[in-house]
Amino acid sequence: MELKKLQQQWNSFPETSMEERPVLSSDLEKIVVKNPLSNAFYLRKKLLTRIAVFSALWLVNTWLLRIQWLGEGNDLYLQSAFFLLLTYAVYFHLRLLLFADYPTLLALPLIPFLSKLEIILDKYIISYKLLSAVTAFGLLVFFEQLLARWSPSAYDSFSRNSWYKWLLIIFLAVSLDILLLNMAIPRYRKLLGTVRKYKEGIIAKAR
Amino acid sequence: MSNTQRKGFNTDIRSLLKHQHKKVYSICRLFAHSYKEHQYLFTNIIAAASQNIRFRGTPANKETLLLQACVNMAALHMITLDVQTVSTESIDFKSTDYQRAMVALHDSMENVSDYDKFRLFLEFEKVPTGQLADLTGLPSGKYGRHQPAQRKENEIPKKNFIPYIKEKLVWS
Repeated sequence: MELKKLQQQWNSFPETSMEERPVLSSDLEKIVVKNPLSNAFYLRKKLLTRIAVFSALWLVNTWLLRIQWLGEGNDLYLQSAFFLLLTYAVYFHLRLLLFADYPTLLALPLIPFLSKLEIILDKYIISYKLLSAVTAFGLLVFFEQLLARWSPSAYDSFSRNSWYKWLLIIFLAVSLDILLLNMAIPRYRKLLGTVRKYKEGIIAKAR
Repeated sequence: MSNTQRKGFNTDIRSLLKHQHKKVYSICRLFAHSYKEHQYLFTNIIAAASQNIRFRGTPANKETLLLQACVNMAALHMITLDVQTVSTESIDFKSTDYQRAMVALHDSMENVSDYDKFRLFLEFEKVPTGQLADLTGLPSGKYGRHQPAQRKENEIPKKNFIPYIKEKLVWS
């Protein structure tokens, strides 16, 4: 009965007024090349930017690591750890980008599509941990390089105290993580929660 | 791919979208509350459909990909509305007839879930309701009960050579 009533309403529906109807013919060329995913769901550009930055850092780090290796410098362990971290960060982001496969994402059936969105957002939130660790390492290496140019004696004494450097890295990484937890992550957490809730609602209704 | 072939393929997408755009209007009617939302959802669905067809399209599945774009983009639209704190539930169209019809429709569907709206969309567009299982990816339901059995008959068991590595490499 309800369905019949709805069907009647549907059949007697007036056409959208010309003023309010989305223009199809002239705008179609523009519409078909537009990205259908909104900013929060479309992380491709952000992931590519991070991959480019991490790759550049990786190249610089490889060069610094080579210098440390040949000269048996005090920073060999630190540079090696940074090298491993950067390699993993590039791998993680590349993997996420390949997994997301944005051009074919919207062709998935609804539940696999929502599940994939959920995983992408979840991994993207985790990637902020890597970002804070890389930034902490990067800041320390940058600070050391500046110190080596400005005051070689201060650099010499600083580079010998490896405990201080590791403590500084931990402090910076935790601080940046807390900062990102409060600044950037809540938006994605909220979105992830909403996607999850929506998916569960659809599954519950279908049963 | 040659230029003429590409041009021909784009013409195909364009003509399909022009012929099928009323389906897009229909899903917008079910999920949009205002003129702006209607515009936004319409353009996003058209963009998603053309993207789906460009990357996954075969001559046989173009209509399914269009319907898939309708369902997925409507779901994303509802999620986006849910994330936004401002309530956009009130119906707002300039045309009085259209406004009246929209208010009546949304009043009748006050407690209808989004899943049921998808079912209604398929019903109104005369799409076989069995296709809902393909569009949602849910194996069974009131309208897709016959499908798992059919699939079981045709299904060839996939060999899982390295389950550990697969689990590590593929997030699922």
